[in-house]
Amino acid sequence: MRGFCLKIIALVCALLFAAHSPAFAQTDGSTPPAPTDGQTTAPSGSANAPSLEDLGISSSQAQGSAQDQARLDKRSHMLKIHQRLGLIDTIPLAATVATSFGAGGRSTSNDWRWTHLALGSATGDLYFTSAYFAIFAPKIPGTQVKGPIRLHKALAWIHGPGMILTPILGAMAFDEKSKGERVHGIASAHGPVAIVTAAAYGAAILSLTFKW
Amino acid sequence: MAGASSWGELFGHFVNRNRKSLVALVALVAVAVALIAVRDCAAQDSQWVLEQSTLTYHVSHPLHQVDGVSHAARGKGVCHAGECDFLIAVAVKSFDSGDSNRDLHMQQVTKAGQFPLVTVRTRLPETLAGAATINADLEVEFAGQTVQYKQVSFQQVTEGDQVRITGAIPAKVSDFKIDPPSLFTVAIKNDIPVRVEMTWQRAK
Repeated sequence: MRGFCLKIIALVCALLFAAHSPAFAQTDGSTPPAPTDGQTTAPSGSANAPSLEDLGISSSQAQGSAQDQARLDKRSHMLKIHQRLGLIDTIPLAATVATSFGAGGRSTSNDWRWTHLALGSATGDLYFTSAYFAIFAPKIPGTQVKGPIRLHKALAWIHGPGMILTPILGAMAFDEKSKGERVHGIASAHGPVAIVTAAAYGAAILSLTFKW
Repeated sequence: MAGASSWGELFGHFVNRNRKSLVALVALVAVAVALIAVRDCAAQDSQWVLEQSTLTYHVSHPLHQVDGVSHAARGKGVCHAGECDFLIAVAVKSFDSGDSNRDLHMQQVTKAGQFPLVTVRTRLPETLAGAATINADLEVEFAGQTVQYKQVSFQQVTEGDQVRITGAIPAKVSDFKIDPPSLFTVAIKNDIPVRVEMTWQRAK
């Protein structure tokens, strides 16, 4: 009888102790046993684990929106086209500069001059198409512009007007040359303006290529 | 009355016969209650709050070595029954590489518009509180993917109620199914280790 009572007592005590233990009270088996050898377990779905709300992050802040992602995607897509066209444009630009040396002859009909004109036109077309994608790429609200992109954008204030002025001055120079005249007046600025424009354009590309 | 009296006699007789057993029962119950109280006191929730943090991702490209830094992480740890569950969250857009154009492109490729947060979860035994090195299993949620990193090593220095943790998470671009960004058709390296420096404060 005494032995039986002691067994009952021991069982009751064990059950009392176990019933209060959260580790034993878990019935879904989701909580792994506490590691003892310094290993740890990532607590996915643990009941005691803190939540984002505990960190002061609301569910609306935690969840993004498809519109925000679409804006980022569209921006990246347009800037990639801008980059691609801008890089391609260096080819006719370099060729235009190269043909400029033969375009200034005294002849009224000069093949080099026509080639220079055609290449310059192609450069301008590609340039403004590329610029369109940069200018109309969606802006991301709250973004503070910093880094090399500031120099890249600043240089656009040089090569942008330059790309407008250069063909105008070039057309004037072409017209004067076609009449057999010496290039004079404002048209004589065609060469210097073109050089500054090409230099600013090259610097704009390099500003994003190498880390300063 | 007679029934009650006989029940009383029977109870008295039972008590007399099993006095020692009953004393042992009372003593054991008392010990069990005391143990429960001690264990519950020991298992009482304690909390940790992330005081300061510097998270730095590193990207390698033949033309660029880029570090993006964020100090905006928030974190909390809840200890219960000998284990501590930690959650750290940081906004993807809070990482600053010194180039806003690159940061926005990073946000695009990591789908930060749709998944604006990086979260890291881990569970540590409370007994590791004083250890110099912690090997943690991390569950990282980023760019719409959940990735487990096993046994990531962190150094730990305890100063009073503060704990300073340093280490690196060996993240890879491919882990999160991110299309690696490229410059001049050359993609960045797959490894984007994230250096972690955190100071945790035990909540009062």
